[in-house]
Amino acid sequence: MGSDKGATKSMRRALAELPFWRLGLLLPLLLCSATQQPRDSEKDTTSILQANYIYNIAKLVEWKDDGMRQGNFIVGVLGGANLYQELIKQYSTRTIGKQPIEVRKLPRSADVERCHILFVGKSELGLLPEIYKRNQGKPTMVVTEYAGALDDGAVVNFVKVENLLKYELSMANAKTHGLVVGLTLKNLAHRVQE
Amino acid sequence: MKPRALLLLLLLALPALALRAQDPLVEALRKYQSGDLQGARDMVDKAVGSEQHAGNAEAWLLRGFVYKDLYKATTGTAEGDAARDTALASLYRTLGIDKDSTYRDNAVQAYEFLSRSCYNEAAKALADGQDTRAVMVFDTYRESMLLLSPKADLRARETEFTNALGTLYTRRFNEDRTRTEWFEKATDTYRGVLRIDPENYGANYNLATLFYNMGVSRIRALQAEADIITMQQVQEVAREYFQLALPFMLKAHDMNPGRSETILGLEGIYYSLQDEMNSEKFRQLYETLPPQEDR
Repeated sequence: MGSDKGATKSMRRALAELPFWRLGLLLPLLLCSATQQPRDSEKDTTSILQANYIYNIAKLVEWKDDGMRQGNFIVGVLGGANLYQELIKQYSTRTIGKQPIEVRKLPRSADVERCHILFVGKSELGLLPEIYKRNQGKPTMVVTEYAGALDDGAVVNFVKVENLLKYELSMANAKTHGLVVGLTLKNLAHRVQE
Repeated sequence: MKPRALLLLLLLALPALALRAQDPLVEALRKYQSGDLQGARDMVDKAVGSEQHAGNAEAWLLRGFVYKDLYKATTGTAEGDAARDTALASLYRTLGIDKDSTYRDNAVQAYEFLSRSCYNEAAKALADGQDTRAVMVFDTYRESMLLLSPKADLRARETEFTNALGTLYTRRFNEDRTRTEWFEKATDTYRGVLRIDPENYGANYNLATLFYNMGVSRIRALQAEADIITMQQVQEVAREYFQLALPFMLKAHDMNPGRSETILGLEGIYYSLQDEMNSEKFRQLYETLPPQEDR
């Protein structure tokens, strides 16, 4: 769990379970993702919800690492341009405890700088195995949005349930990264993996 | 028949009356000919109120013409509306008592002119943002047309007007999203169009867009400080609007599969419904569309 090998395996499994026609849609989509027109941020409801979730998650989780309790509270965004915009617009002037929130748009690389929360959008799935590998034992909470992410090492994963955006949570992965998850966050999760 | 010729006919038709200068109908006709509309009105009202002319088609026809001209002189005012109502009623009365159909063509022509003026004024009132007046004048149009021809098919006019009314309500709502009464009026209005014409593309598309935008604005209005429970409640409310939007946008798309606006609309609705597969399907479809004027 949380290993590079596991991540690769889980993603392979996810791809294998896709019907061919979906795979056919997914592959051109991934290829074209760099040139695809971004969604109008005013209408990107998912980004608004994800930003709110991330802010609440930040408030309801405790970072045990002393180094993470000082300085800015850093939210790194890899992929998800609208989410980045939304975080900047709504939350970049707020604080988590006494730590001012700093939102960073990260370059397309697995060599990710130290963040409290690292969101990796589905357009950057290819980078995840390496990110999980490099993040092992570090106090960074990886938040993702694809099936099987908790098995791969994500702490929080956004899921779509009955036309709603919810989240699932891995307590084991949280512990690995030195994170203490509040009871509220746990109770409100769609699914909790102990 | 031209009004001048009609007046001649009236004079010929009333030879006996013409000799009697005291007859209010003759006086009304003279005043009308001389352009004294107020005087003609007083006299013709007196005439049709008299026992002698109460059942006289000529008297009611003249009254219709006098009031029609009074309406033309005061269009767009309460006085003008009242004059038109009286003209319509008088012309309709003419048709009822003109057993030989002597004046039928003239009465119908004037009546239809006045009915059409109601429709035109309803359209103008909408353009000026006067929805109450628009509805009132359009009701007069509908009632007068159906009175003349009970089987008249007014569906095309009705849908055209009601769609325009819905657009006005939508514009008001878009100007101030807190004024949900305009949202309610707009959705009710478009539903009204669809009751008359379920295949109306504009009403289906506009209704879907209204519901979709309402869902989006509910989420956009979410306070940054909102906790997870509040956010999930907002999300559930928004989901209802997205679900309401979907069948109307699907219908509009089925009616016109090549329109990029409905394809993008479906892409957006499915996206907000967290239905990635269908959202992508319509996004791909949009990308494959040939260049169009509306893109």
